[in-house]
Amino acid sequence: MKIHPRYYPYIIITLYLVFLLIGILLGFGPERIGGGHGNNMLIQLALALEPLT
Amino acid sequence: MTATIRKKNYSIAKSRHVIQWIVVIGTLLIGLRHIMPGEASRGGSFDSFCAFGGMETLLPFLFTGHLLKSTNLLNFSVLIATLGVSLVAGRAFCGWLCGLGTIQDFIAEWTRKLLGEKQHIRGKRSKTTLPLSLPVSIDRPLRYAKYLVLFWIMVGSLYTAYPPLREFCPVRAVFGLHMTTLLWVTLAVFIAGSVLVERFWCKYLCPLGATLAIFNKISPVQIVSASNHCNNCGRCDIECSMGIKDVPLNLDDPECTRCLECMDTCAREGSLELKVFKR
Repeated sequence: MKIHPRYYPYIIITLYLVFLLIGILLGFGPERIGGGHGNNMLIQLALALEPLT
Repeated sequence: MTATIRKKNYSIAKSRHVIQWIVVIGTLLIGLRHIMPGEASRGGSFDSFCAFGGMETLLPFLFTGHLLKSTNLLNFSVLIATLGVSLVAGRAFCGWLCGLGTIQDFIAEWTRKLLGEKQHIRGKRSKTTLPLSLPVSIDRPLRYAKYLVLFWIMVGSLYTAYPPLREFCPVRAVFGLHMTTLLWVTLAVFIAGSVLVERFWCKYLCPLGATLAIFNKISPVQIVSASNHCNNCGRCDIECSMGIKDVPLNLDDPECTRCLECMDTCAREGSLELKVFKR
């Protein structure tokens, strides 16, 4: 399927914003000083891997 | 099949420059915010907004559960966004959304202007001596240096408290506004390198570029060439800021930043097209 180059910047920016939002929704939002890590997927993965290290 | 000469009614380069400079201004504002008194403690450090910061702190976080100092969970979101763009559109982040790439393009353009090029004519090689075009025998091996830098940083991240690149990071040197002696040296090397070789950092040293390079081979959005339209004029080779040779034959080259300058300069309609899954 052909894409007109006119739409390419919109595709890139939309992708960037959508994936940024996905990241934030997964729990990787900005932390405040003194704040905890929250409850996100990577933390759970890190906790699961901890006994292996 | 005969190709027609393209009537240009849309400039990809102009759109790209607008987006690139919006990113530069945004990054500078982030840098400015973090030198304001009391602001650094609100919402993480300048490093928190860096996609590569997510790579640097990934292994320590997975193996110890702790982030490297000066990084933040937000780094992972920025990294996911960068990888998301790359997964679909290859290294488009480097060509469109990287502030450092914009600064390098700017330095290369002004170097040519200061050395006597009054106006750049599309598809015509600049007569100025700088930026240089390194011989292939030197250029090719140097391109692998960025993969070594990436390897060094990923291994080093397991043994350091701060991100390994932090003290030498050109993004911090250019946009961070919080300078140390090492960052001044980095800035000087970055500027000198960009004057000497176009996109010096991207070609030889950028670890994020090394991370994203693989996506050029697997992304569904690809630039494709209709060889029966191409007359091998070489305009795309001249315009390629990453110095890719024989562009129509190497459209999925890991070095390509998907800036679409090749498409923009191409005078033959249908010779280079943007397609999903090459159909």
